[in-house]
Amino acid sequence: MSPQPEPLRPPLDLRLTQENLEDLYDDAPCGYCSCLPDGTLVKVNRTLLTWLGYERTELVARRCFQELLTVGGRLHYETYFVSLLLLRGQAREISYQLCRANGASLPVLLNATLVRDTDGEPLVVRITLFDITERRKYEQELLRARAQAEQQGEDLARANDQLTRQNEELTRINADLDSFVYTASHDLRQPINNMAGIFAELKRTATFHDPEAEGMVGMFEEALGQIMTTITGLTEVVQLQRQLAPEAEEVLLAPLLEEVINALRPQLQEMAGTFLVDVAAVPSVRIGRSGLHSMLYNLLSNALKYAQIGRPPEVRVRADRAEDGAPVLTVQDNGRGIDLERHGRELFQLFRRFHPEVPGSGLGLYLVNRLVHQAGGQLDVSSVVGEGTTFRIRLPR
Amino acid sequence: MEALKRQNVTVSGSGEQLIVFSHGFGCDQRMWRLVAPAFEADYRVVLLDLVGAGGSDLSAYDPARYATLHAHAEDLLAVVAALAAGPVIFVGHSVSATIGLLAAAAAPEQFRCLVLLGPSPCYLNQGHYVGGFGARDIEELLGALDSNYLGWSGNMAPVIMAHDERPELAGELFRSFCATDPRIARHFARVTFLADHRADLARVRTPSLIVQVAHDALVPVQVGTYLHRHLAASQLVLLDTFGHCPHLSAPRATIDAIRQYLVHLPS
Repeated sequence: MSPQPEPLRPPLDLRLTQENLEDLYDDAPCGYCSCLPDGTLVKVNRTLLTWLGYERTELVARRCFQELLTVGGRLHYETYFVSLLLLRGQAREISYQLCRANGASLPVLLNATLVRDTDGEPLVVRITLFDITERRKYEQELLRARAQAEQQGEDLARANDQLTRQNEELTRINADLDSFVYTASHDLRQPINNMAGIFAELKRTATFHDPEAEGMVGMFEEALGQIMTTITGLTEVVQLQRQLAPEAEEVLLAPLLEEVINALRPQLQEMAGTFLVDVAAVPSVRIGRSGLHSMLYNLLSNALKYAQIGRPPEVRVRADRAEDGAPVLTVQDNGRGIDLERHGRELFQLFRRFHPEVPGSGLGLYLVNRLVHQAGGQLDVSSVVGEGTTFRIRLPR
Repeated sequence: MEALKRQNVTVSGSGEQLIVFSHGFGCDQRMWRLVAPAFEADYRVVLLDLVGAGGSDLSAYDPARYATLHAHAEDLLAVVAALAAGPVIFVGHSVSATIGLLAAAAAPEQFRCLVLLGPSPCYLNQGHYVGGFGARDIEELLGALDSNYLGWSGNMAPVIMAHDERPELAGELFRSFCATDPRIARHFARVTFLADHRADLARVRTPSLIVQVAHDALVPVQVGTYLHRHLAASQLVLLDTFGHCPHLSAPRATIDAIRQYLVHLPS
């Protein structure tokens, strides 16, 4: 390998020697000034004079540096900058606004050093100033954003407070509602019982001449029966709300379902319906027994009650496991179905009814849903109008 | 003892009599570095940081409590009580002068005398009273502090690094030199510069020395004479110097003025 030839140095650019120190000072791309310890200006460069719009003679020996600051900056200067300078000998990156001769202001960043004399006494302060107009705009944006964020934080906290208050109020209203329902069911039961007794006695002793009377007596009894059912349902709801989560136990499904179906036997026979039960996959579940009984009783009796006219009810009850192993109880009927698009959201609300032609209290599904939630489970429903409805109770693992 | 920790109280010097130095707005007890040592030969010198400043317990700064200077006056009384060494000589700069006046009005038995450095009971012009600032000035000044939000936190660290004559103290202690949590600084500025304690002056019976700087951009000379007129048992001394911090810009003159006063104080 041949040695690399020495690169030729370019001849010295004569312009490099042209930089004159005085020019450098006066026309530097930053503002320079020097002042006495009390702030009296002794030297100011042309750049700064141009920025400010003053003649040199207007400032030197006539004005103090701090007089060029806004009132706010001046306070900062007197309380902070001076302490820093006298104790530390310098100050760096302090942000001020200079007041121009025309009244406008110029944002600057200031660095300063203190020069002391041979006795250590403060002699002169040297100050360098950088125009930060653009940076200041950006900083103002940041400040605004920060203030906005703080404001939003406060708003959020306020909204949260309000939510908490509303929650508390709702809880209170709920409790009021519960005690109202309790009072209503309790206070109604006694007079209705009286009415039933009096009516039975009346029926036994009275003689009616009107041929339509017998039909009216029947209607009266039917209405009375409905009121009794509603009151019983309300009582059940109230009891559910007042009791704590019941003790869970291992409940065998087959005998429980048999019990429920037996209770429904009269309707079942009357309607020539069938129950098809398959709980082989999950013979037992861990749950409060009476709650489960109530859930199944309500779903099964609904399945009969809302059968499609002219089609004997066929109700399938199954127990399976979901993919994650959680037990799922399914009650599937071939009844008239529910328009979920229309009523889905209200399905589990208290006193909501979707088949006014069938007598009912509007308590059943509300109760089932509450019980399922209380057991830590989840109730789903799917339905096709005219074909049937399927309820799925997913219980915790 | 809790009060001493909360306000980062340091004690030095020797002697029976306590002299307590309390700093003004914008810095902390290190402001006394050029003045306090001169008293160590004859006095026990106590330095403290106002709650919210310097090495004080910043978490103790509850804006609701510190909405007036009375809270700082209570703090001062708690420190004096914790020191448990009889009536003290109190030296307060700027806002701390007002704090000392409030404390002495509340518990005169705790104070032998007050030295008020650049005091002002009210920075606002009010009727015939010349405080030095119009309401708009104060608002602008608070706005300027707000806009220094970034500046305050941003310019602290590099300031401290170089030119430290006491390298053994560099680092942690000086990194935060005169730095204040911007939120606290903003709040404290509002409390300080909007306060009006002229009505409290009549309640002060403690002998006091008013040290007025001839050219103080924050406190016009009229304020010194006003205080002298309204403070019983006060003396007024005019320091022919400049700026709001004579203990930094003219430490020797400041020391002399305080000494002169203390020497002639009846024991």
